[in-house]
Amino acid sequence: MLRIVNLVKKYGNFTAVDNLNLELEKGDIYGFVGPNGAGKTTTMRIVATLLEATSGTVLVDGINASENPVRVREKIGYMPDFFGVYDNLKVDEYMDFYGSCYGLSKAERSKRTNELLELVDLRDKKHEYVDTLSRGMKQRLCLARSLIHNPELLILDEPASGMDPRARLEMKGILKTLKDMDKTILISSHILHELAELCTSIGIIERGRLVYSGRLQDIMRRITGKTILEITLLDKTDKAVNLLREQPLVEDIYGEDNTLEVSFNGGEQDMADLLRLLINHGIPVLSFTREEGSLEEVFMEVTRHADR
Amino acid sequence: MRTGKVRSNPIITSEMKIKMRGWRTALGIAAYLGVLMLIGFLYYMAFIQTNMSWNSSVNARQEAGMQIYIALAVVQFALILLITPAQTAGTVSGEREKQTLDLLLATKISSVGIIFGKLISSMSYILLLIITSIPLFSLVFLFGGVTPGDMLQLFIFYMITAFAVGSIGIFYSTLFKRTVMSTVVTYITIFFLGLVSVILGAYMISIQYSGTMPQPSNPTVPFVLYINPAVGLADILVTEPGGFSTLLGLSIGPVGRLDFWIVNSMVMLVVAAMLLIISMYKINPVRRISFKKGKKRK
Repeated sequence: MLRIVNLVKKYGNFTAVDNLNLELEKGDIYGFVGPNGAGKTTTMRIVATLLEATSGTVLVDGINASENPVRVREKIGYMPDFFGVYDNLKVDEYMDFYGSCYGLSKAERSKRTNELLELVDLRDKKHEYVDTLSRGMKQRLCLARSLIHNPELLILDEPASGMDPRARLEMKGILKTLKDMDKTILISSHILHELAELCTSIGIIERGRLVYSGRLQDIMRRITGKTILEITLLDKTDKAVNLLREQPLVEDIYGEDNTLEVSFNGGEQDMADLLRLLINHGIPVLSFTREEGSLEEVFMEVTRHADR
Repeated sequence: MRTGKVRSNPIITSEMKIKMRGWRTALGIAAYLGVLMLIGFLYYMAFIQTNMSWNSSVNARQEAGMQIYIALAVVQFALILLITPAQTAGTVSGEREKQTLDLLLATKISSVGIIFGKLISSMSYILLLIITSIPLFSLVFLFGGVTPGDMLQLFIFYMITAFAVGSIGIFYSTLFKRTVMSTVVTYITIFFLGLVSVILGAYMISIQYSGTMPQPSNPTVPFVLYINPAVGLADILVTEPGGFSTLLGLSIGPVGRLDFWIVNSMVMLVVAAMLLIISMYKINPVRRISFKKGKKRK
């Protein structure tokens, strides 16, 4: 759906995006993580055909963005990090205006407006002026606007920025619905745990370079070099701790009551072997899970490197 | 059903809706016509006080009618020069300030569509002001001396001037990020076109007449005056055959068969077209101007 090849964007001597490569399949939800000024917004603006790349290629559904921006815009829905609204336009007129800008017929605009206002829970605000809406409502309206032409690829730059927790939850719910609708989404956010829940893959961008890209767990392992296992036991905790300490792949053990957090250096087969070992030694294991990586941890690790 | 490019441009539809909503537009028109009416009334009172009446000679009445007509024409011209930059100089920079430009550029609407949409929607207000002043101007017909042809010529020139000044405003609004800056620079440009070009033109005419002996057999209008709409207006309002250039004893050069105001209008139209093309190029984020609007979805 989206293919970015050797993308470079320079402003004079400053390189904002440095040889970035990325590929998204249809239905992927890709989270862009990185410190401020890392090049996330620049990359997203280039994909949205709002900025010309210095070099490199952006292909959206096989169409070259710099050669055929109008056709690419048909396939993209873009929501910027900062945006304004027109005074004196009502919610339905606002949607209708952008629908016309995408060349939709009047009947289609009306149908899509009703569907999308329902999706973002703004149906009862249809005839109200846009500038009277709260910030969270405006963010949801902007998301609805970006969907007016039914795009296949959504580019969402900090869609939940400045929202209160309730509004963030509502936005998360909408994004989950879009995920179910099989939309391909490229999203950046600082609300990292929400991104982690939502995304199929994560990309970490630092000083314009995509330093890590893949599933969150894989990134965790590559950065920290270890997996955290959470093991809950019925009893015999001491016996289990002693047994685990003897294992060469176990690096550290933290415990609280019957729940142990084990820092483990092995792969998936090693984890299965470890579970078998515990059971063979008669230790009653209630649960044995690989802890989902904390994106905050990854983010801090990466930005710590970036600060050095 | 598609009904032509102008009517189907979403920017025009939306901005007209916003502009016509509420009392601001109606109040603006009322104030505009109020100023013109006041000027006409003052001149009419001056006509009464100089002991002329409806029984005066036809020539005296025509002279009075012509004076009122010239006064109204000059005031309307000044108002167009004042109002047009305010309407156009914030069109694109205003979108940038409101952070709505990116949302617009990310749609299928072309840079040509955006610039024309902005120009036509702001010009429509100026056009409305010009058209609503026609009945007021028509009162001059009661005095005689002014023909409908004269007035048609004047109103065509108004529209061309408004279009040219509007294009300058649009051009600066694409060039500068801030509306205040683009508005100020537009007014400065108009000031230069209006006043500085006359000073320069007068200087160039004086050079033609001085220092060369014998006098040039065919002195021409300096080029700098062709960009000045005020001189075009003067040409329209001068009643002598041949207009302003004949009055000054100048030839208008290679386009000598045409009236000065027509050449002036042509120059303004060419400059305006160039400024609009540059604006379209400037606003386009990927620097490829698309003159075709995308096909309608089915």
